[in-house]
Amino acid sequence: MHSNRIRSAGELVFHAALFAVSLVLLWSSYGISGFASLSSPGALPMAVAFVMAVSSGLILLDCWRKAERDRTRFLRDILPPAVIVMMLFITGYALLLVPLGFLPVSLMFLVLSILYLRRGGLVFAVSVSLLALILVYIVFRLVFTVLMPAGIVPEAELLAAIGQIFGGGK
Amino acid sequence: MQALEYFLIPWLDLKLLFLVAAGTFAGVYVGAIPGLSVTMAVSILIGFTFTWDVYPALCLMVGIFMGGVYGGSRTAILLNIPGAPSAIATAMDGYPLAQKGQAGEAIGIATVMSFVGGLIGIIVLAIAAPTVSEFALVFQPRDYMLLAVLGILLVGSLSGESLVKGIFAGAMGLLIGTVGLDPLTAEERFTFGLTGLWGGISFIAVMIGMFGVSEALMQLHHVDKTAVKQKISRIVPNWASIRRYLPLSLQTSSIGVLIGALPGTGGDIAALMAYDHAKRVTRNPEVPFGQGAKEGLVAPETANNAAVGGAFIPMLTLGIPGDAVTAIMIGALYIHGLNPGPMLMIEQPQMFWFITGALVLANIFMLIFGLTGIRIFTKIVEMPRTVLIPLILLLSIVGAYAVNNSISDVYWMLGFGVLGYFMKSYGYQLGPVILGVILSRLLDENWRRAIISEQGSIAGLFKGMLTSPLSLVLLATVVLIFVSQTPLWRCVRGKLGLESRP
Repeated sequence: MHSNRIRSAGELVFHAALFAVSLVLLWSSYGISGFASLSSPGALPMAVAFVMAVSSGLILLDCWRKAERDRTRFLRDILPPAVIVMMLFITGYALLLVPLGFLPVSLMFLVLSILYLRRGGLVFAVSVSLLALILVYIVFRLVFTVLMPAGIVPEAELLAAIGQIFGGGK
Repeated sequence: MQALEYFLIPWLDLKLLFLVAAGTFAGVYVGAIPGLSVTMAVSILIGFTFTWDVYPALCLMVGIFMGGVYGGSRTAILLNIPGAPSAIATAMDGYPLAQKGQAGEAIGIATVMSFVGGLIGIIVLAIAAPTVSEFALVFQPRDYMLLAVLGILLVGSLSGESLVKGIFAGAMGLLIGTVGLDPLTAEERFTFGLTGLWGGISFIAVMIGMFGVSEALMQLHHVDKTAVKQKISRIVPNWASIRRYLPLSLQTSSIGVLIGALPGTGGDIAALMAYDHAKRVTRNPEVPFGQGAKEGLVAPETANNAAVGGAFIPMLTLGIPGDAVTAIMIGALYIHGLNPGPMLMIEQPQMFWFITGALVLANIFMLIFGLTGIRIFTKIVEMPRTVLIPLILLLSIVGAYAVNNSISDVYWMLGFGVLGYFMKSYGYQLGPVILGVILSRLLDENWRRAIISEQGSIAGLFKGMLTSPLSLVLLATVVLIFVSQTPLWRCVRGKLGLESRP
């Protein structure tokens, strides 16, 4: 995808952003303990922030010098709609995870993403998502005992009820 | 005798035995499914096994590691897509064999040879590691610091096409590792006044973001590609062909262990070097290399599995990761309260023998799973990416949340996922970031201890390094690796007229 002479769409902006962030971090690392001593808490942070700033500066300069642009277009090759949509989906998932709970949000996320990526097929999307979610739930929630936010689903009560049906209960 | 007792723990406990088997099984599939990588699987898994006891967690991860290195060969042979970087060389002759209708035979040979290579690697680990760790007692803070520097220098081999980008990524990782309250003085570093950052950024969130989310997002570019299907014939290879390739496999296994044990070089380089070796020593191959020579399949497969045992030597005895996967394994050991490094073998020898036992067991399971269940395998590998990608993203979120039950870890994970995506898009490698995060604490603490013990004098520190034989050897290694991985070396080689390897 990359060659030494041409640069991709958005590359310059990205390198510039990294350079700017590195400078901010360098300034912030100076604020930890300045040049107090070689063993101060800020010594290593300042050294690595300096390396970041220098290397990102070099990368930016190198990119700046590349006169030609390749044929990539930002919204087609670097950040195509599918990536943007999935980024939005996953952000939405993270935001709704605690208020709504793991089960409904995961189901929604899986159905919507599969529907979007496959461009249709509701029955397929719902059945595959349900199957996948049941598997994930059994493996991670029940076997690995990972605690996930219950949200609006009375999960503990349901699990207790199922446990009682099988004569045990936790 | 006691070592044997520890060695047999995973063999005799049914639960642990099952976990090694399950891990290896999962590893074979994870390694084989294009889009899933061992690095991704182990990093996501750390989140889930966080609350477990150390033994079961290690069993699962060792299994995944071992199975994953082998699993990559499957898709390399069947689809010409190496499931893992270490299987790149396998595809060169494996896929032509599959095209000729010999996919089953190719998989069979690859499996048996991976087993042979894996076993040799583990035997070398068992013999060499205790010797290496005997140095442990004389290690000073400056030696640990040099070890950390040695580890950091691996960015050179993990940087891909641009060394500067690798250096940036490594420095970024080191910086991420320093965020939070300073462990020695409790001073705030890069917290920007946010108390939520006092505890630092969970490196699991960084790992899952960089290897899970960013990889899944990258895969969206190839969502429409369909795989070419292959027919599978007989899979268990006959004894004659195994006997025939055994001498070559022994040679390439030794290459694998050696390369694997060198910091900075892992299974991928070992496999390519072994392939090159096979090409040179095989005078009259039945089929030319690149067109389905079985030697070209045997060599990389033995070498990349032998490299696993090799990579565990510096990882367990010195605390230096050989590549991204071992870096994550070190992270996993940290999470479970273990401190991989010179003191591990001294303080907790049982852990070393336990891991060795689990590795041998995983190797055996790899052989069993490798030679069975091929029909189900082809079905699973053909799982559409449209289903796979949302699942990876879902598991990444669950994994990141599970460690601290904290939603902010999920946000960090997503942030690093998106950053990792752009970094990858613009030619940065993410391995150095993880390397930096893992080695940050080791470097920071020991640098400061070393300089404090010399009353803040750099000259004193260097004098100490030059007068202690151990430090001197480490320093020389650091210098050697630094020189060999910078353009300076290429310049010298060019002047001497030496051809550089691709």
